[in-house]
Amino acid sequence: MKNKDIQDLLDLASELRWEIGENFHDTLVEGIYTDAAQIAQKTEIKIGEPNPYSFERKLDQVLTSKKYGFPVMILILSIILWLTIQGANYPSSLLASFFLEFLYPMLKTGASQIGLPWWLDGFLIDGVYLALGWVISVMLPPMAIFFPMFTLLEDFGYLPRVAFNLDSLFKKSGAHGKQALTMSMGWGCNAAGVVATRIIDSPRERLIAIITNNFSLCNGRWPTQILIATIFIGALVPDNFSSILASLAVIGIALLGIGFTFLSSWMLSKTLLKGEVSTFALELPPFRPPNLWTTLYTSLIDRTLIVLWRAIVFAAPAGAIIWLISNIYVDDLSLANITIDWMDGFGLFFGLNGVILLAYVVAIPANEIVIPTILMLTVAHLNLMGAGNGVMFELESTTETAALLHAGGWTLLTGINLMLFSLLHNPCSTTIYTIYQETKSWKWTVFASIMPVILGFLVIFLVTQMWQLFQ
Amino acid sequence: MILLLNLEKLFTPLLNQAYISLFFTALLILFFILKKYQYSLRSLLPFKYVEKSITEDLLKQLYHITSSQKTTDFRMLSGALKIPERKILKVVESMTQNGLIHISEGHVTLTKTGKNYALSIIRIHRLWEKYLSEKTGFDKSLWHDLAEAKEHQLSKEETEALYEELGRPRFDPHGDPIPTALGEMISETGTSIVGIPKGTVTKIIHIEDEPKSIYRQIIKEKLHIGAHVKILNADNHHIIFESEGHSIQLSTVVASNIQVVLLNSQETYEEGNVRLSSLIEGEHATILGISSECRGANRRRLLDLGFIKGTFLNLEYMGPNQNPRAYRLRNTLIALRNDQADFILIKKTQYDRTGSL
Repeated sequence: MKNKDIQDLLDLASELRWEIGENFHDTLVEGIYTDAAQIAQKTEIKIGEPNPYSFERKLDQVLTSKKYGFPVMILILSIILWLTIQGANYPSSLLASFFLEFLYPMLKTGASQIGLPWWLDGFLIDGVYLALGWVISVMLPPMAIFFPMFTLLEDFGYLPRVAFNLDSLFKKSGAHGKQALTMSMGWGCNAAGVVATRIIDSPRERLIAIITNNFSLCNGRWPTQILIATIFIGALVPDNFSSILASLAVIGIALLGIGFTFLSSWMLSKTLLKGEVSTFALELPPFRPPNLWTTLYTSLIDRTLIVLWRAIVFAAPAGAIIWLISNIYVDDLSLANITIDWMDGFGLFFGLNGVILLAYVVAIPANEIVIPTILMLTVAHLNLMGAGNGVMFELESTTETAALLHAGGWTLLTGINLMLFSLLHNPCSTTIYTIYQETKSWKWTVFASIMPVILGFLVIFLVTQMWQLFQ
Repeated sequence: MILLLNLEKLFTPLLNQAYISLFFTALLILFFILKKYQYSLRSLLPFKYVEKSITEDLLKQLYHITSSQKTTDFRMLSGALKIPERKILKVVESMTQNGLIHISEGHVTLTKTGKNYALSIIRIHRLWEKYLSEKTGFDKSLWHDLAEAKEHQLSKEETEALYEELGRPRFDPHGDPIPTALGEMISETGTSIVGIPKGTVTKIIHIEDEPKSIYRQIIKEKLHIGAHVKILNADNHHIIFESEGHSIQLSTVVASNIQVVLLNSQETYEEGNVRLSSLIEGEHATILGISSECRGANRRRLLDLGFIKGTFLNLEYMGPNQNPRAYRLRNTLIALRNDQADFILIKKTQYDRTGSL
């Protein structure tokens, strides 16, 4: 009998559920929200009205206006980039001379005094230690300048306005306005840019931002771009104009990166990421004076040091490998030379060469060591007298570097292709590891690592074909 | 000989490039053909792979025909499913043997088992559409085709797990009832919007998603389930009505796919309710609600941010491209894109401190 009552009740409930329709959950939730809001309003005491003509509102209106919004934004970002690149030069060379000119010879002497075998000394000091020295001295100063400035702007409340201004552009490629911030963060460091995508709460747009962050030219790649542009592009015109043309070429590459960000965002949102959930909401916090010390602390500890530590962890084995391949011989040829010869055909087909390809393979851990590795491998391959096998170095002047590269068979086409390939290749291993940490998906990590390389080879192949056609 | 060599030198790179570009073009064309005909191409597969889905499609078709009190024969079925008659006959034969259908005097009818099977397929189809609408970002014009493929793949256990995960829904996003696991379902209660006398206020409860071309026209007007509609004018060819502050004109053929009911006693039609996207700088408004078209994560996000019935807000400023726009509510500035603001219904008001929340 009791069972029958229960059954009747269940039937009635089921019947009523058809009648109340589909919106009843929402109505219930909205009712609760509304009640809560009304209760809160009764007890809330408001002091003073927000002044509609306050300075803050005026500032907001100017920063987001049609007339001044974009120019102010471009100006501020260019100043930050300029300060980073220029400002990092001095501390970088200071660190380099400490690690490479002061500490390195001392370590070498110390090692020979305690009678370390040559191979252990080479492996540890020429390999591991030198790679670490390069990475720290090239990577630390720009990051220590870029990230605090960026965090200050964020604290002040300007960055959400940038996202607000740029959202309509990003919307067209299926992305989130906040991707503007992670993209500019990527100019500092891609790994930090990938971590920064946490501010995007929509899953689809966040994946787009993570995958395309690699197209932001990071601090580790700016020096490569500047050096190669000076040697190959700047040399095309008389000396007076060469630095202008070289800078324009570097800016062009950075802009090309932005173009690829939009293009690949658009293609991703039309194909692979079609079904991912997409939401949008952007809070515009009130402007407030940034807290200088907190900012410095968080940006140095949270961003700079963590990224630097990851880079060090990955760069140490890279240094070891670079030393090993240059010092292990098979039939009178070092492993490096064998690999270079083997890769040369493939490299030349795409308008690069074996040295560049090998350098990009062994320098996956950090883009900073690409140029020193290329120079070291070129010297080793040409059998010139250099600093020694497996010892990374950089030459004092651009002219010497240019002479060495020309001797290695480089042409203008190689230079252009290297600049393009430096923009469009796999992210460094620190970034790859960070992508995995953030997405927790092997599928997307592999995709984000492989896609830019394929794109890069495609682009330099087309450039090379065009070049040969018009020669 | 020299001439020949030179010609070769000149043409080899050109030829290579022509081959490469030809190859890529061919690949692209193949890709698009496959994409366009991915559903029709399945009839090329060996018969045993498609038998299950043809059976299920047939049962569904039969169920819809039976519930609209019509009879059918083989030719009509094969026409409706776009499958050759030869294959249909083969499937029908095995279906009769399995006791799913019954044939008498050339008419095909469903048996009790067949009807339950059909309802279980409809259940998966509508649950999957519900899933797509709540948990994914696929455009609503794609839901039907995706569900059409998925309905043949889900097992009974997976279906029940999906039902639980979605919070035991009773209606799909088009307003159609979802049959329960026991095969219970209410019959549709709405009437077509065509033939409603002018001046009447009604509520949309169902928008048919087939045929696709008509469905596209309806969603282009941003009409959605739950929207209040006031009929302004109607003749034999067109119907004009007002919804959320917009006047919309549809041809009778298109409009007949929209089903409506009269408002119940608790619902009132608010004259002058408009979408948030129509608010201009300096204007103030009170929120009336979020349209039921805004679902899943998007809806929860808006509710979390405080876009709740009765909240007072104003448009603070528009961006350089007038999209997104910044709204101030509860002393917070929040930027929304215009297509989101379309989901929020408001009533414009004068600035009034006492009315604000």
